[in-house]
Amino acid sequence: MKPSKPPRPSVKKAPTPTRLQAVRDAVNQVDFNRFRFWFQLVAFVLFVYGGYLAIDLGTHLPFFSCGYNKEGRAGVCYLLPLQHQLGRPLAMLFTAAGLAILTGFLLFALWFIVLNKGWCGFVCPLGTIQDWITALRRSLGVRYSKYTQGQFKQLTKIKYILLALMILIPLGVGGGIFSRDMSPPFCLICPARMILPLFTGDFSQFTVDFSSMTALVMTVLGMAVTGLFLVGSFVKKRFFCFFCPMSALHYLISKPALLKLKKDGDKCTRCGDCYRVCDMEIKEIADDVKTVDIMTDDCTLCLKCVASCPEPGALKATFCGIPIFEATEAGFIKRMNKGCHDGK
Amino acid sequence: MENKLHKVIPIQPVPYSRSRQAGESQTVLDHIVNDFPDNPAAMQYFYDLFQTVYCLGEDVPHEGLLVGTTCIQAPEELIYAFGATPMRLCNGSYHYDQRGGDFMPAKSCSLVKATLGMLSSDNIIPKIGKPDLIVNPTTCDQKKKSSVMIESLGYTVFDLEFPNSKESEASREYWQRSVREFAVRLRELTGRKLTRKNLKDAIRKIGRAQVAFRKLHNFRRISPSIILGKDAFLVTNAYFFDNIECWTEAVEKLNEELAQRELDGFKAVQSKAPRVLFTGSPPIFPNLKLPLLIEESGGVVVTDETCSSNRMLYDMTAVDEWRVNDMVDSLADKYLKPCTCPIFTRNDDRRRRLLDLVKEFKADGVVYQAFAGCQVYEMEYRSVAEEFNRAGIPMLYIETDYSPDDKGQMSTRIEAFLESLKNKKKRQA
Amino acid sequence: MNHIRHRVLPALLALLACGFVLAQDGGGRPPEGASQGEKRAFYQKRAADRAKAAESAAPAQAAAPAPVAEHPHGAPASKSVTDKAAPARSEAPARAATRPAGMGMAMRGGSGAVWLSDSPPARGDGPPRAGMGGMGGMSMGGDRSGPPTKRLWLRAGTDPVKSGFAKEDAEAPAETLLVKPQGALTGEALPAPEEGKKNLSFAMPVQGYYRLYVTTRKLQGDTLNISVAKAEVSNFSHGGDEEERSVALTAARVLETAPIEIVREKAATEPTFFQLKSGDEQAFVILQKGLPAQGARVRFVSHEGWSKEAVSDEQGRVSFQVIRDYFPPWNDFQKRFKGTYLVIADTSATEFGKHKDQPYTSVRYQATLAGSYYPAIEDYRSYAWGLGVSLLFVLFCGVAVYLYRRRRIKTFQDVRFNETK
Repeated sequence: MKPSKPPRPSVKKAPTPTRLQAVRDAVNQVDFNRFRFWFQLVAFVLFVYGGYLAIDLGTHLPFFSCGYNKEGRAGVCYLLPLQHQLGRPLAMLFTAAGLAILTGFLLFALWFIVLNKGWCGFVCPLGTIQDWITALRRSLGVRYSKYTQGQFKQLTKIKYILLALMILIPLGVGGGIFSRDMSPPFCLICPARMILPLFTGDFSQFTVDFSSMTALVMTVLGMAVTGLFLVGSFVKKRFFCFFCPMSALHYLISKPALLKLKKDGDKCTRCGDCYRVCDMEIKEIADDVKTVDIMTDDCTLCLKCVASCPEPGALKATFCGIPIFEATEAGFIKRMNKGCHDGK
Repeated sequence: MENKLHKVIPIQPVPYSRSRQAGESQTVLDHIVNDFPDNPAAMQYFYDLFQTVYCLGEDVPHEGLLVGTTCIQAPEELIYAFGATPMRLCNGSYHYDQRGGDFMPAKSCSLVKATLGMLSSDNIIPKIGKPDLIVNPTTCDQKKKSSVMIESLGYTVFDLEFPNSKESEASREYWQRSVREFAVRLRELTGRKLTRKNLKDAIRKIGRAQVAFRKLHNFRRISPSIILGKDAFLVTNAYFFDNIECWTEAVEKLNEELAQRELDGFKAVQSKAPRVLFTGSPPIFPNLKLPLLIEESGGVVVTDETCSSNRMLYDMTAVDEWRVNDMVDSLADKYLKPCTCPIFTRNDDRRRRLLDLVKEFKADGVVYQAFAGCQVYEMEYRSVAEEFNRAGIPMLYIETDYSPDDKGQMSTRIEAFLESLKNKKKRQA
Repeated sequence: MNHIRHRVLPALLALLACGFVLAQDGGGRPPEGASQGEKRAFYQKRAADRAKAAESAAPAQAAAPAPVAEHPHGAPASKSVTDKAAPARSEAPARAATRPAGMGMAMRGGSGAVWLSDSPPARGDGPPRAGMGGMGGMSMGGDRSGPPTKRLWLRAGTDPVKSGFAKEDAEAPAETLLVKPQGALTGEALPAPEEGKKNLSFAMPVQGYYRLYVTTRKLQGDTLNISVAKAEVSNFSHGGDEEERSVALTAARVLETAPIEIVREKAATEPTFFQLKSGDEQAFVILQKGLPAQGARVRFVSHEGWSKEAVSDEQGRVSFQVIRDYFPPWNDFQKRFKGTYLVIADTSATEFGKHKDQPYTSVRYQATLAGSYYPAIEDYRSYAWGLGVSLLFVLFCGVAVYLYRRRRIKTFQDVRFNETK
């Protein structure tokens, strides 16, 4: 049996895409790394120097806009007021002051759910600094380090331990168990406290406080963590984000967030491209084909995975359920084969 | 009466084009070209290519050293980066199959027999010359054991250690190490160094080819089809030995023509023609027996999941940092992680891929070909059948080999299968 | 990166242990849950013990009583106190036993200076208490659920630590005036302290600077002595109303009707929650009825009794650099140690008038202002150590990471079996 000849109509031209489709295509094929670089730069300047322009976005920010950067900050990282509030005398916590903690937390949560953990990947100044250190390493041609899966599983718990300590130690200070020099405990060891004020010329955080044993231990620990941070960020992409208690806090309240990372497991070929580019080395993004809400507790929603996925629709970032950035073939090809002759 | 002693006329050597082997290829090619209407004009390049290479037996040129590969897992980008040319040695000729059968066990897979038969012959067709190195990934049993046999035929073989399982971290590390060792071997072979530039260029070159293929792949989604499966198979089979740049250009031209066909609303088949997904042991020219039977019977092969076609070119490389270390590891990952070859312990990825392909291409049914002797495909049939059963997708399982003897029987079965697909569609409509 | 895990967890555990151990405060507190009377008894006993020790240590100095006689207008600040709340220690100025005579102490005018302090003489030394700043500061007592209440004590003497309560003088009743932020500019009278209590207290519902003026007028011969003891309390809270705060920060802090007053000059870049540190320059402005007083003799007395004199210029301004005089043994060093300074300004003028139907020909003005200062940051924070430690860690971690990465090149030794019997 031979197939019959179908009729041949006249030659037609390609239909022009609708405006929405054109916008969608432009977004999905954006030079993602460049977009992200500029976004981070603007956010960095805003939050590290915005104070000079009297910008004040409040004290409930869900990322490290360090409060110790007294002159330049455009708002304060929520962890600082949280630790201060928890450090009040315990009796006070059962009064209106306790309500203040709850309302403060609510405000923080409202800030947070807008971008979910995207604050980490796009806005956090400390994250931006780590990305710049990574760029430095890349330009020097030094290979990056990876965790083995066993190491990954163990080390990922550290952020929860730090979060627990960050809450319990101020309560202990308020309850009189710990000396006041130990509050705010996380800020004392956070590398942002040392590094962000450097950008406004404030070197005063690079000191060791000898006034009491507690202060001595805490500031030495802070210096040690800063040293470790510098080395770690050099060899590992987004080293600190792996241990960040803010990241753990984010994850615990990430259910109602507006920006989400979604995966369609049926389309996934498990090619592992997303895992390859992931700064945090999250294996689930590649291997898990059942879960739809694929953001894990380590994820910084930097969306590099979406940018490097060649299967259309397998990964996408949605805002209030509407996909805003999807994996597309055209986007992948454009990003991975820069300068490739395309034909269309 | 006396018997006059006649002079013995020795058998003249005939040119290749008149040999039985060429005849086999010629028959198939003629069938492909002449017996189907409305071949795309851009396909002429490929018809001519196969004519010259398989039917006339002309030289196939290559740049630099020649590295033959026996499986798709050998990283071709590395070979290009070192200035050599890769060529896939897997063979589809019944002539060679019979030749290989002389020294291979009777129950071996036809493909391996044909490949070994080809390598053992004096006149290798396609005429690529003698490979300077043959890379043999340790995939299925038969390929693994043929390593030593190929060596004994006088070739230099490199065993590329491919893991049998891809789930564990250890296997990923193992494979990355393997690829690095391969790079070292290539460096020894070619005397060149692996630099960022040449590796990047190689990745780009193959990337370009893959982009062209993807476009072709996407055109086949259109229903009713604008191009027949036989042509797609021919295109991808040409990738085995053709110069990659020429190939890419030809495919891009084909894509342009197909784009025009799409706009025109051109139909290469009847609207009601059953759409078939072809999976299993790879059909390699001239053994396009089953796909041709399907299309002769009114069906159309819209897509496939075989290592001589779709799987060879589909997965693209993603690199995070364009440095040699990262690029080599990215390549390794690309060849291992999305691979749906049945030699792995688990086949979850393959089943998911098949389901996705059926959905994307709106296939009505699946034809699963397994070569007799291919233990892995035959064993996987069961789990794939269960999966399709659950999804309500009809599947036809055919166990065959290179010999043309079972054509009649195959034809009957395929026609029956396509009829049942048509009826099912009518009932659903 | 296993070494991270091995490092962080033990460090954190050690940290917790440290904090626990160190948080134990030194002795010297009354037992928990003691009633007010018991607490008072405890403190009295403690003071008596200390006074005994002091007495046996050094002989009384005659220098102290002498200036009292010298200055006819010795304010009712004579060191004797009869109130039962005042422990024996407040008699110390008469003896001046344990205190070094210091530099220029109790010689010139103001030996009997009356000033307002935010701590009663019973608890002289300034160990830091949780949540208490200096004159500026957060809630100081009173009912937690209402606005904070500030309590001030009127003391007499030039020793910021040891001055006792000011003695009430029937001839020269004290007029107290409280100027509240957003209140009347001329202030309002404050009710007298309750029976048995010596403190002047007032609530601070609004953010801003609360100023208390205690003015006494006494005639001695034909000279009228007017002394104004002033206290300025800054009440700001972190979460309070922004507008209220900004209004209060820029409000004038001068009482135009005060015969004489000392105003602490605020630097332009001074933050809201300001703490004066050793080594800082602090300027004061002397005003009479709102106008600058030139030529007033101003004395600045530090916590340990060191004092310096200056004369106000034509803008009434005088500036002192706060010295560092806190040198405890290092283990007792408290970085929040609150030292008290006292500023006394004297000036006189020829004026004619009548005070309670008695004529006078000259007037002597004296104003006092007390405040607190804290150890300078450089006293306990070391840059060298900070940078040194971080550099050390960078090097250490860098080398560790480098060696760890080099491991990769050696043949891997993945699985290790423990050889058991």
